[in-house]
Amino acid sequence: MSELNKAMIEQYRNSFLSEVEANVEEGEWVKMCMQCGVCSGSCPLGKHWAHPPQEIFMMIRAGKREEVLTSDSMWMCTSCYNCIVRCPRQLPITHIMHGLATYAKKLGLTPKNQPTAKFAEIFWNNMMKKGRVNELKLGLSLYFKDGFGPGIKEALRNKDLGMKMMKAKRMAAGEFFGGHGVKDVSGLQKMIKKAQELEDARMKKFDEPEASQDG
Amino acid sequence: MSEQAEKKYAAYICTGCGIGDRLDAGELEQTASRDGRMNVVKQHEMLCSQDGVQMIRNDIDKEGVNHAVIVGCSRRAKVEAFAFNDIAMTRCNIREGVIWARPDTEEAKETTQEMANDYIRMSCAEIKQMNKPSPSGQQGRNPNVLVVGGGITGMTAAIEAAEAGYSVHLVEKSSALGGHVARLHKRVPFKAAPVGTPNSPDANLPMPEDTGIGDIIAAVEGNDNIKVYLNSTVTKTSGAPGRFSVDISTESGDTITENIGSIVQATGFKLYDPENLPEFNYAGSPDIITNLELEELANAAGDGPIKRPSDGKEVTSVLFVQDVGQNSSDEGRLPYDSGIGDLVSIKQALYFKHHNGDGCDATICYDNLRTPGAPGEDFYRSGQRNGVIFTKSEVKEVVPGDSITVKMHDKILDEDAEVKVDLVVLDLGMVPNSGPDPYAANEALEGMSDEDRAEELEAQEAHAADETSVKVESILNLDYRQGTDLPHLKHGFTDSHFICFPYETRRTGIYAAGPVRRPMDMKQAMDDATGAAMKAIQEIENAAQGRAAHPRVGDLSYPTFRKEGCTQCKRCTVECPFGAIDEDEERYPQYNEARCRRCGTCMGACPVRVISFENYSVNTVGAQIKECDIPEEWDEKPRILVLACENDAYPALDQAAISGEEISPWARVIPVRCLGSTSLSWVTDALNNGFDGIIMMGCKRGDDYQCHFVRGSTMAAERMAKVGDTLETLNLEPERVVVHEVAITDIERAPALIKEMEETIEKVGLSPFKF
Amino acid sequence: MTEVVATNQTILVVGGGISGMTAALEAAETGAQVVLVEKRPYLGGRVSQLYKYFPKLCHPTCGLEINQRRAKMNPNLTIVTGAEVSKLEGEAGNYTATVKLSPTYVNDNCTACGECAKAVEAEFDDEYNYGLSKRKGAYLPHVMAHPMKYVLDPAIIGTDDAQKAKDACKYDAIDLDDKEKEIQFPVGAVVWATGWKPYDAAKIQPYGYDRFANVVTNVEFERMADPKGPTGGKILRPSDGKEAKNVAFIQCAGSRDRNHLYHCSRICCMASLKQTHYVVDAYGDDAQVSIYYIDIRAIDRFEDFYAEVRAMDNVKFIKSKVASITRGENDNPCLNGVDTEGYHRYATEHDLVVLATGMEPSVSVDSFPVDVEINREGFIEPAEKNGGVFAAGCASDALDVNRAVQSATGAALKAIQVVNRVARAEG
Repeated sequence: MSELNKAMIEQYRNSFLSEVEANVEEGEWVKMCMQCGVCSGSCPLGKHWAHPPQEIFMMIRAGKREEVLTSDSMWMCTSCYNCIVRCPRQLPITHIMHGLATYAKKLGLTPKNQPTAKFAEIFWNNMMKKGRVNELKLGLSLYFKDGFGPGIKEALRNKDLGMKMMKAKRMAAGEFFGGHGVKDVSGLQKMIKKAQELEDARMKKFDEPEASQDG
Repeated sequence: MSEQAEKKYAAYICTGCGIGDRLDAGELEQTASRDGRMNVVKQHEMLCSQDGVQMIRNDIDKEGVNHAVIVGCSRRAKVEAFAFNDIAMTRCNIREGVIWARPDTEEAKETTQEMANDYIRMSCAEIKQMNKPSPSGQQGRNPNVLVVGGGITGMTAAIEAAEAGYSVHLVEKSSALGGHVARLHKRVPFKAAPVGTPNSPDANLPMPEDTGIGDIIAAVEGNDNIKVYLNSTVTKTSGAPGRFSVDISTESGDTITENIGSIVQATGFKLYDPENLPEFNYAGSPDIITNLELEELANAAGDGPIKRPSDGKEVTSVLFVQDVGQNSSDEGRLPYDSGIGDLVSIKQALYFKHHNGDGCDATICYDNLRTPGAPGEDFYRSGQRNGVIFTKSEVKEVVPGDSITVKMHDKILDEDAEVKVDLVVLDLGMVPNSGPDPYAANEALEGMSDEDRAEELEAQEAHAADETSVKVESILNLDYRQGTDLPHLKHGFTDSHFICFPYETRRTGIYAAGPVRRPMDMKQAMDDATGAAMKAIQEIENAAQGRAAHPRVGDLSYPTFRKEGCTQCKRCTVECPFGAIDEDEERYPQYNEARCRRCGTCMGACPVRVISFENYSVNTVGAQIKECDIPEEWDEKPRILVLACENDAYPALDQAAISGEEISPWARVIPVRCLGSTSLSWVTDALNNGFDGIIMMGCKRGDDYQCHFVRGSTMAAERMAKVGDTLETLNLEPERVVVHEVAITDIERAPALIKEMEETIEKVGLSPFKF
Repeated sequence: MTEVVATNQTILVVGGGISGMTAALEAAETGAQVVLVEKRPYLGGRVSQLYKYFPKLCHPTCGLEINQRRAKMNPNLTIVTGAEVSKLEGEAGNYTATVKLSPTYVNDNCTACGECAKAVEAEFDDEYNYGLSKRKGAYLPHVMAHPMKYVLDPAIIGTDDAQKAKDACKYDAIDLDDKEKEIQFPVGAVVWATGWKPYDAAKIQPYGYDRFANVVTNVEFERMADPKGPTGGKILRPSDGKEAKNVAFIQCAGSRDRNHLYHCSRICCMASLKQTHYVVDAYGDDAQVSIYYIDIRAIDRFEDFYAEVRAMDNVKFIKSKVASITRGENDNPCLNGVDTEGYHRYATEHDLVVLATGMEPSVSVDSFPVDVEINREGFIEPAEKNGGVFAAGCASDALDVNRAVQSATGAALKAIQVVNRVARAEG
């Protein structure tokens, strides 16, 4: 568990909200929610959410740090933007959901085996290797994320799709061996590393209340 | 026209709009001259045309016609054309009332003609009983407005009346002007975000503003037209609009008497007493405070942080509990919501964000957040934008301690929670500072007979004299027969027709403004004060000319009585819905023209029929009833008398005709000012005359009354409840006389009710009193 | 047309709805000379199209009757209908108003006898009923219209119907050659009372007002409840004319929403509570009402009105902004969303859905003929720069009738102050 993760949160106090505002992308919008619920009702994946967006916003205000950050709800967002379009207060809900997910991941609070989180990780690692996504490896890693047996089954289930992608040249068998990439891979990796450092430094620490107060 | 001028009667018959086609105009003319005995009878093919109007005008100016019947369309049509205000005039409705209400068939021809003939007879009989009304001259133009209450409402009313050129006497009970607003740190912003404001995190949204009370006080004090009386109360108000005599007494005991034209009562509100709410433990900790106390804390903070009362510690967290003691059906709590508490709490939460920094948590626990309008919703956004946290929840208990614990149920998360904060602010409701309700004790009178009622009132008066229990202090000390103060409508608010005519109280010339009328905030109170000032100066002008106030605006007639016939029974003084009638030293009724609203409820109440208006009396209607031609029994043509409220039932019947609804050919409709003016003698006369049925159509009565005279229709219904006795003596079936509540929209129902009576008569048979 | 006689001590009232009528009458009854300009052919504005008022459930036409009687009787008041102020120049105490008069084709000779309506044939959408019914090309706008005159639809001018109407009139009241005119006159002060219009519900895309017959607006529902309205007062589904017993109200349809109107329209909660009474009065125990809301804003001291509806067994309150409406069985609108009190999803079918659409100012922000301070929502704010122009009623904010009348009464005084100053200055 990260050091960032020791914050003492009191119920219905603003410390968690402040943390979200500081560390979560578009987090400063959370306080603007008026609990109408149109986001929750508009989400096409809504029924899979343990806590829909508007409830998550309320939980943030109520100081439910652990529950929010360990929730798998925000991992459900598919970026359809229905909620943003309909939100009467113009909250960038999609971005906030991704922001919360990223923040939870950073703190190591993401639920184990959360498939979307896993996929995101695989996607990221895949892309970081060469600076481009290797569709073949991405697909395979995804299939085999839960082990060899399920991987084979999953691969067979999707074989038609795979064939089509091959035909459309969206995927090539040769990619298995290395695959294509950007010109200056190490340059890219350096750049990302630096960005990560900057982001980590920017991130407010919420384990020392005094520190959070000056911010 | 000199007073002695001979009465010259004329009837003008319009033959336009199909009247001439449907009816035998010659017969109408003959009816007017032979039966109606009019001196002049003329026909015109379009009476409302310039030519037609000029014909009448010439007769008035050159031929000395001073009493005219306009036979044609309804009194609701072509009013502007037939505005002959210098004579006594009545309208005889044979368009909407006859030809439009009857089918154009050969079969119906005879009864339709009879209907029209009858209406002409009736109108001719009526005009003979009428005189052109002229004001009493009881009062002149008195340009002084009395404003009671020196808070924001009173001061605004004073300034606005003074700006229009009137003099103001402003009476304030305390030692300073300013009222509640003077105690506020800031006010809720008056305006919404300006045009072009984007919906971005850094947009300029409205923030709490300076109250500006200092400038307003200075404006009052610096205005030559406003005289301020501090430490003063109104100890006696007598008279009527245009001639009020008001005693203003200071604490030291001095009394000044001022002549006043009209009055604005702006006595504001007090906060509900939090001690009545044990669950919020107001008494349990100095850190559980009222919303008003918070204003004082904020004022005391100066430029520094707001500190909590118990130990002077800087507040780092504050929680607002909304609507405490409001919206409750529990005994002793407020059944209503002040409606402004959420805006006030947002404002106050922002004090903390400003004084104690963004790190100070401010939470508002609300159920339904009420921030209406454009400024309201923008201020809600502003509160959120600045970090105020809103929690839809029910606060169950506030527990004192080093930190205050708030136990609540979060309605969104659907779970119980406990929050510890430094300070809790209770959003208390507004309780109107109205005087005692003149009618509060009189629920005991409902349903009593007149005699019992009078007795009960006497008893109550005697009892009140030696009453020792604590009473609400009177504000106006009206020297009126019906009590010292403005009547209440609901929950202590002095109100009346609060939708269409919000300023009409039940005491003419006395206008309530601000939170004494309904809960409201500073901006609304200032708007309200301006409106009340408008009504106050209007009443000054009306009273000066002897013109009635709402709803018979401009009416110059007023009630008088025949002293020798009066039995001093007091019914008129008791039943007047506006407390207009006092008793003189000899215990005779004393009509105060300028207080009177001309409904005629007194006239209807009078058992000896001595009260009348110049153009409306027991005789103006009685004569119509008598002159109506009653066919012999074997003609099998019943007659149904319909007494219809002129504001609602009569227009409903008119509209029925306009919409092509049929009205029974047996009906004879007479508009009345209010059903409250209905004299029992009209019923008796009609029955004796051979009418087979009588329908009275008045407005809805009770709590949600729609009667324009508030209690007129109620009084009528109570009186008519006893009409059974009359019927019994005459040996008639009780169903021959009915009272209906009829609304202006009862366009189909009103004719149907007449049809119903037709069927009743078919069942019980024609009246045996036809001779 | 009534001739306008005015001076710089005259008060011009723009708009003849409840606010404009009130301001005009209060000022005129105090002795001021008033010219009232109304765009429609009759007075009364939006409230004349309401069936009942909250919370008394009384009828707007009742107060309208009194106000119209006041108007008919007052010699200080000149009413000009079919007219719009196109320009206002000058300053407090000294304005020149330019007023555009639409051709009316019907003069004051009209006796409202109705012969012209019998003569014409073509039918048009009846705007008084929000297009839910048809009217003739010669028509009485409604049964209480004041001035009580028939109106010729401009669309029939030049057709046979126009000539038929003219031929049917026995009173020489129809002038088919009437043209648009512009008049100018001086005024001292102006009460601006142009009121509101219902927000265009079709713009709220997820609710499908333009796609589903059984989704109506609250103003339309008001007409449906009126016995003189298009359904004879019966609450019926537009799609098949069947009784609508299971009715849903969607609050804040367009209000409190940055996609539509930022402001809260104040009245819609009370209006839906009132309209709930219509449904329950019509169908008794068979009625089912669901009210979907964000906050129920029972204004003033009217909490008891809310409490009374809440206590009804067949009325449900759901704290939710409905996400979308989809087509259910038998053209039932299906409401989808989340009840936020504890997170419950729903997909519920109703017979009929009423959108509690909000109020927006009648005059759009960029088309004011006079320079006044306007807020983001297009309402006029009180300001020095407004000079002798005073907003009344819903031109100043989303108001209920009570507040609109209050506001108008106050505006009348503000205008009187200006003209009284002029009078004093001119001796």
